[in-house]
Amino acid sequence: MNSSLRHALSQHLLALADDELILGHRDSQWCGMAPLLEEDIAFANLALDEIGHALVWYTLLADLAGEDHYIYPDRLVYFRQIADFRNVQLVELPNGDWAFSMLRQYLFDTYETVYLAAAVGSAHQPLAEAAAKIRLEEIYHYRHTSAWVRRLGLGSVESQRRLQAALDKIWPYTGQLFALSPGDEFLVSAGYLPPSTILSSTWKDQVVPFLLDCGLQVPVESGDEDTQTGRFHPPLSRERHTPHLKVLLRELQSVPRLEPQAVW
Amino acid sequence: MAKPDTQLPRFQVFLQEKTGQPHQDVGSVHASDPEMALLNARDVFVRRPECTSLWVVLADAIFSKTAQELEEQELGDKGLGDEGVKEESGEVENYYIFYKPKPTGTQTLVGEVPAAAPVEALRLALERFSGDKPPSAWWILPARRVLVSSPDDIESMFAPAQDKKFRLSTDFHTLTEMRRVKSEFGGQ
Repeated sequence: MNSSLRHALSQHLLALADDELILGHRDSQWCGMAPLLEEDIAFANLALDEIGHALVWYTLLADLAGEDHYIYPDRLVYFRQIADFRNVQLVELPNGDWAFSMLRQYLFDTYETVYLAAAVGSAHQPLAEAAAKIRLEEIYHYRHTSAWVRRLGLGSVESQRRLQAALDKIWPYTGQLFALSPGDEFLVSAGYLPPSTILSSTWKDQVVPFLLDCGLQVPVESGDEDTQTGRFHPPLSRERHTPHLKVLLRELQSVPRLEPQAVW
Repeated sequence: MAKPDTQLPRFQVFLQEKTGQPHQDVGSVHASDPEMALLNARDVFVRRPECTSLWVVLADAIFSKTAQELEEQELGDKGLGDEGVKEESGEVENYYIFYKPKPTGTQTLVGEVPAAAPVEALRLALERFSGDKPPSAWWILPARRVLVSSPDDIESMFAPAQDKKFRLSTDFHTLTEMRRVKSEFGGQ
């Protein structure tokens, strides 16, 4: 593997891992707060799954960097600066209400199942193997969150109003999921990844009809077109974060940073 | 005055650990409908133990009788069992028969019978499945009300749990460690 391909791959793995980590952390914030006991347990499970997936990607990254499996992920999670995180803004946003969290999780799960279905065919064997493993759990996540979105959308006037409000707020952030990262072209030409445009159109073909079916109005068809209203972010680079990430990391990193040498 | 119940309807959950073993009652979940109940049952009951199949059924759809109730009252017209009438479709259909072998036992699937009503299904069950020692309680489930996980669900719903480390709280040696810290720092 040449150095530009290796660099592109490590940036890609970092993006995958950081998305899962930050979303998993957001999900964990529902623990003890979800509207139903059963769903409290389900969301804690989701949080654990996402953080577990993050660990899978961080471990691949450790392999690529020749670093220790055990120490390296912790170092990345607890001691990295905000500017070095590569997650999308979608997962940073505070949890909001139940409709917001559920819809965000649904949109992300759909993106992940689309990505993973393609990644199982990656020419990079470790990526293909990890994708195959994670994909099984994501199929279940998708089933769970899509079931909820459908019920909220077709439920009461109140649940539909909240879900629509959540969609209006979240939709502009979805474009960033498909933003190109520097070096992505090397990954595509090496057969490591499918082109982002294919993922994006597959995702939209799945998500838009579903949301319409749930009685929702999908704000605009495509992220990059609606420049007039300014409602839609152009796909931002993954280096751009909202102020929410700073608050989230301050909490997430606070304990290990109190005593970096502590042995757990 | 009792507060109104604001929880969603209750569904009973039955789990089969391995192929060939009977489904057994593991508890209940609240849910808006059977599909959500099945998903909730997975999250609440299948995170750790082995599982190959899950059933959920609305708790109100279970026709239930204890051995004591059967002793005290004749099973028949206008007698015991008429409260189960709401589940009758009038047609002959399949009923799953569960029983609890001992008062401390677990409701376990023993078979199924075709019947026109739950009370008739119980009568047939008493003849066929009582054995030498009569069970302590019976549950009769109309098969059409039971939502069954599909064999295709095993891979995504149940299998991933098997790869996860399961640690008992004692694995963390918290007590020993806290005692050590306490003795080292004088327990102030």
